[in-house]
Amino acid sequence: MTSTVSATRTRTPSSSLRGKSQHRKRMWAPWALLGPFLLLFILTFALPIIIAIGESFTKVTRHGIFGEKGVTTEFAWFSNYAQALANGNFIASIGRMLLFGVVQVTVMIAACTVLALLLESASARWPGFFRAAYFLPYGIPGVIATILWSFLYVPGLSPLIDIAGMFRIQLDFLGAGTVLWSIANIVTWTYTGYNMLIIVAQLKAIPTDVYEAAKVDGAGPWRVARSIQLPLIRPALVLTTVFSIIGTLQLFAEPQVLQSVAPAIDSEYTPNLSAYTTAFAYNDYNVAAAQAVLIAAVAFILSFTFLRLTNRSSK
Amino acid sequence: MNSAPVIRPASGEKVTLTYWAWLKDLQNVCDIWNAKNPNVQVNAVWIPGGNGGGYQKMHSALAAGGGPDLAQIELRTIPEFMLVNGLVDLARYGAKDYADRFDKTLWGQVSFVDGVYGIPQDSGPMGLYYRPDLLQKVGADAPKTWDDWAATAAELRKAKIYIDCFPLADPSWFTAVATQAGASWLKVDGDSWTINMTDDATLNTARFFDKAIDKDLVTTAYAGFSTPWFAAAAADNIATLTSASWGDALLEGVSGGKGKWRVAAMPTWPKGGYGSSYIGGSTAAVLANSKHPKEALEFAIWMQTSKEGIDALIKNCGIGWSPDRDYIGKQREQPSAFFGGQNYNEEVFLPATHEQNPDWSWWPITQQSFNILADGFRKKSSGGTLVDAVAQAEKNIITAFRNKGLSIRKVES
Repeated sequence: MTSTVSATRTRTPSSSLRGKSQHRKRMWAPWALLGPFLLLFILTFALPIIIAIGESFTKVTRHGIFGEKGVTTEFAWFSNYAQALANGNFIASIGRMLLFGVVQVTVMIAACTVLALLLESASARWPGFFRAAYFLPYGIPGVIATILWSFLYVPGLSPLIDIAGMFRIQLDFLGAGTVLWSIANIVTWTYTGYNMLIIVAQLKAIPTDVYEAAKVDGAGPWRVARSIQLPLIRPALVLTTVFSIIGTLQLFAEPQVLQSVAPAIDSEYTPNLSAYTTAFAYNDYNVAAAQAVLIAAVAFILSFTFLRLTNRSSK
Repeated sequence: MNSAPVIRPASGEKVTLTYWAWLKDLQNVCDIWNAKNPNVQVNAVWIPGGNGGGYQKMHSALAAGGGPDLAQIELRTIPEFMLVNGLVDLARYGAKDYADRFDKTLWGQVSFVDGVYGIPQDSGPMGLYYRPDLLQKVGADAPKTWDDWAATAAELRKAKIYIDCFPLADPSWFTAVATQAGASWLKVDGDSWTINMTDDATLNTARFFDKAIDKDLVTTAYAGFSTPWFAAAAADNIATLTSASWGDALLEGVSGGKGKWRVAAMPTWPKGGYGSSYIGGSTAAVLANSKHPKEALEFAIWMQTSKEGIDALIKNCGIGWSPDRDYIGKQREQPSAFFGGQNYNEEVFLPATHEQNPDWSWWPITQQSFNILADGFRKKSSGGTLVDAVAQAEKNIITAFRNKGLSIRKVES
């Protein structure tokens, strides 16, 4: 609030040579309208980011057995970053998420594109019903979804494992090698419908005369999908992919909840879990802040690279 | 803060204490006190359990210069709060006068150097829960030693039953069993911490369970009291569980388990070591910004050592084993229907409290150390060993101490 008020005040004198009161009112209006947003934006978004960056360059050192001989806080340059990067578990978690992203995002984007095209094709039956049905999982919070799925994953409870057992197939959804894909399954189940809806919206925006022209030229459904729909929904595909890449790096709730039934998930399984553990279990907010900045940097680099690649190939 | 002058008790005026804890219905216990002490009213506020959010809340409150007068803090977490200067040294308010009311081992775990940093609230002496009917199948009785345990486990495997699970992801169980064998990992020595995780007690324990896991005597697929464990127990696939006294209430959650379980003493190690060990346990600690530490201490002492306080805590909050030296609680003096009429608390857990390793003490980065250990244990499933995990964990814990600026050195046993 203070910043908005001072901004109005400093601006008014310089630009209020004539029509003072009216001008002041006009200058005041946009700030008043922006105020609530700016206030929340600064307090809950900008300020925490600035503080986190500041924290990431600070180091607290304690002396004695419990810090009873004094605590020193000093500017630490990049030592927190060095400590974060020297943590093998944190690096492994980023690697794990890259692998997860390459597989899961690809599968999900392909699946939601196919679903969207099917629902928007001329021969689709009850598209409204199926659209709602596919979208439904998105309405279930990640934590609840994970609990639901865990009942299908846990041996002794899961009917899937029992049925497979009848055919002498040993299924292990929660083992060290498989649990990552069990999480991928939950994420895909949750977000495919949501991404599908974005693509459907883009498909609906394609003018009907384009389809008519294609029909006149004798294009079948395949040809329409390949040559008209896919190129025209490109922006939606790019958007959903970038969101999914960022979402992947921020994976938190699903592994956190699944942890209680899957010993293979450690306390630093994903980058966000690692930062969370460092901050709140180890009480080391400085290194956690450095981790958070690193996660943001990786997300930024990945999204930027992806956008660069798609822009280049479209030229 | 603990060098500032002692805060004198309020004289005459009414004082209200706030008490953060994750015990359910704690206010009912406080109300008994409140009725008798009109000048010191205690207000219980429920918070999420420990690392599930409660500690985060306390740390934030302390950082902001506030927080409650009293808070529930686990024994193993006391030093972590000392590290942020978050606890009042209760010895300065006369806590040592009450030391003889408490179990010696537990009092040792809240005492550091010359101070007392929490009043023990409950604990978890260990025993062996077992299914006589399943053990009977292989002609066995409750194993008395860990060697018996391994032999029985091998027989049970022929009947497709596991004797127990070994939790790779939660090393507190391994820690408890190593403590029973006589381990004492971290200690204060003058101005520095000393660490010794590669003593014989720890390494023999690690070797023993390396072998047990390699021979498939125990399952590592789940930990005790997890969802898959309950499913396996209900399906008669688990014959015993070595766990703490508070496990009794959880065990009652096994469907169809009524009357089938019994309790025996924890298996023992062949040479040296102790008869039992402990998992879990918490304290009521006075947080740094309390304005009435003396009153808070008096309330905590009443709650943990008076008969009415202990009985109310057991009845309302279902606390673990009472830390009082002389009274285990009325409810626990009676036989239990779930355990087939066995009077197991007096029979097994009461003697167990006299056979615990008194030298163990917790350290300022316990949670991090457990996570480090768990990271090593998880490698067991891909060919690593517990022995290597312990040795590597010791190195990583030393690094973690130094990253906090604390001095630590390795000592040989």
